[in-house]
This record gives sequence, C-alpha cells and structure tokens, in this order.
Amino acid sequence: MPATVPEACQALTGDGALALGGGTAMGLLLRNGLVEPERLVWLGRIAALGGIAVGTDGSLRIGAATTLAELARHPEVLRRCASLARAASGAANPRIRAVATLGGHLGHADPRQDLPPVLLALGASAEVTGVGGTRLVEIADLLVGFMETSLAPDELITSVVVPERVGRRDVYLRYTPNSHDDYPTVGVAVDVSVAPDGRVMGARLALGGVAPTAVLVEGVADALVGRAASAADLEAVAEAARSSATPVDDQRGSAAYKQAMSGLWAVRAVRAALGGADER
Amino acid sequence: MRARFTLNGAPVETDVAPASMLLDLVRERGLTGTKEGCAVGICGVCTVLVDDRPVSSCLYLCGFLDGADVWTVEGLVEREPELADAFVECEGMQCGICTPGQVVAAAALRLRSPGAGAAEVREELAGNLCRCTGYETIVEAVMRYLERS
Repeated sequence: MPATVPEACQALTGDGALALGGGTAMGLLLRNGLVEPERLVWLGRIAALGGIAVGTDGSLRIGAATTLAELARHPEVLRRCASLARAASGAANPRIRAVATLGGHLGHADPRQDLPPVLLALGASAEVTGVGGTRLVEIADLLVGFMETSLAPDELITSVVVPERVGRRDVYLRYTPNSHDDYPTVGVAVDVSVAPDGRVMGARLALGGVAPTAVLVEGVADALVGRAASAADLEAVAEAARSSATPVDDQRGSAAYKQAMSGLWAVRAVRAALGGADER
Repeated sequence: MRARFTLNGAPVETDVAPASMLLDLVRERGLTGTKEGCAVGICGVCTVLVDDRPVSSCLYLCGFLDGADVWTVEGLVEREPELADAFVECEGMQCGICTPGQVVAAAALRLRSPGAGAAEVREELAGNLCRCTGYETIVEAVMRYLERS
C-alpha cells in the first residue's frame, strides 16, 4: 500500500501487479477469477493523487484519485466542463460513484464507459508517471484498444488536465434503452465554443460504446465551425458520427441500430450544446 | 494482510485476504442483514457504509479496510432508531429483500445531504432496486427519516 507516487511506480514494476483506484471494476474481475494478479497495488493512500485545481492558464487539473461522486459535484468542474460532471453523475449508481476513481476509470479502458468520450471531446490529457519520469498523454493516445491503454507496467495516471476553452458549451448525452444504470448503447460528448455573435469557433464530438475505444469523430468541425449556430449542418454531423461508429451486436442493440443511434444522438447533443432544446 | 478498522463502532483487528470482499467478511461475523443479491454492484442489497459513503460490499475489497469505519444495517438502526421507525411507520417495504440496502442508502444520503428533497431521495435510491413497492412508500420513509433527524 504505497504512500507516494514513486513508491507506487516501484511496486508496479515487473509482471503480475495490478493497480487499484476504487477497485469497483477490478473487484468484479477479481471476484470472478478473470484477473489473477500476483499483487495488488492500492493507490488510495497517495495524497498526491487527490485534489482538483485550476491552473494559471484556466485549465483544470483533476487528481486521479478523485471519485466519480466528487467529480459530479465539484463547483469548478461544473463551471468549466459541466459535461464531465454530468457524465460522472450518470455512471452506474451512487455506491459505485462513491468509490470509483477517475484514474481507475481511464486505466480500465472499457469502451462503454461514460468519461472517455467526454475527455476526448474536451481535449483532455492524462498526466502519467512511471519510474523514468512524467509525461503528458492525450486521451486519444492513452486509450489504444479494447480495455487497453498505452501505459507501461510501471506507469500510473496521476491526474487529468482539461484545457480551458472560451465560450465553451459542452454536453454529454447517454442513451440507455435498458435500465438507466446500464452502460449506454451510445454516449455522445460535444464540446463546442461559440463566439458572442453566435458563430461557432470550435467543435469536437466523441462517441462511447460504439467502437473498441471511445472515438473522436472526424469532420464535425467542418460541419459547424465558422457558421452561425442556427446554420449548423446537422446532417453532416450525423453522417460523420455514423461513419466513426464501428459497433458490435450485443444486448444493448445490433450494430446497425447502434450506428443509427450514434447519428441521432450526435445531432441531439450538438443541438443541445448550440442552445436548442435541451434534450437531456 | 492485517487490517484494523471499526465495524459498527467497535474496533476490529483481523487477518484478511486483500482480494476478498467486505460482504463475506461482515456476513461471516454474523451480520447477515447485508445480503448478496446480484454480486455485480447493481442491485444494492449489499450496501454498507465505509467512511460515511455507501458502497457495494460485494465489490469492496478487504485490502482497503485498514483504517476504515464500516457500518452495516444492524449498527445503523441501533445508532439511529428513527431510521428503522420511519421504514416501519411508512411501510417502506414489501417482500423485504431490498430493505437493508434501502435503509443503509437512506443513512448515507442523510450524512451527505441532510436537507435532501424528494428528487434527491429518488436519485439516491435509484441504485437500490425494489421490484415490489414502486418506491412510493420507500421515498416517504426516507423523507420522514430526514425530517426527523
């Protein structure tokens, strides 16, 4: 049970170690014998992994040990990137949110999770520390495959940095046709920035649940940027979302259904972000 | 590993397997009000408090217990008699399977948000599945408990 980040990196070095944040996802795998680590490295006693702070550049630095419940209620998260608080508040149930951490959530890298698409849309990066030092990794470069990250065995996520964007209007919508605490059929995160005259200055959209990782959708900026919000090309947004989705059939819908829903909910999310009817 | 923690207010020191679950630990100590339901953190019948937070004990690793303050339904209703009273008076139960979890969830909500309104109560209880009551009487019971404490 390491007390510092360097101690944790040492403990993680070599084969057979499993890092645990809140342990909710890993608890499930451990319980069912789906992972059999030689040792568990619990990060919950490392004070340096906690805290949420605003940098001089307006960016938000969120410690990896922050729980989803803390994320959901933190005033700076709500003020600067409300979609992240929204996504955290809708994941699983209060008991999981009370324990599950941001770092653990990202390290688990399940493509159906809520926070990865939001962090992709927001342009966030993860601060990663290993025995050899610290590096900043964009979320797209962290999540490299189905439940697979680019972390080396001795590395752990120490914080997540969300850049500030002037005029940010960010939205996260999750579509769950089964029960609301289920993983979404598709989750759509949008981060648009809008000038005072109503013109769209920037737009990023990401999907969760419809590919081996959360994916940033290409071509959304072309459909929105430079236009007035009311002149957004929503059909192009839908088409871009559909072509980025490479889903598989499961109990949350057939591949074709998920692809269609990706387009539909992408349009709803963009509309909500641009100030249309709030369909959350 | 050795773990020192408090369970329903009493100090405990015991050997635990780090990857074993808190649910089994409390039940093996005779605290069988905490049930195993889904065993995947969804249904809520195994809810206990750890450091005043509601957790699914079916997924809570004993390796985290050292230094923790754990309360089960048995300890909570003794500590706060008005909690059980409110559920009894409002008939906040039907078959009873989910009740221990609902009671612990109510205690957790009071600790976090004592002035919670009905909407927040419903939000909190959404993670504790009841398939009998339709929740009306459970929400009433939790509201009564919050008003009295």
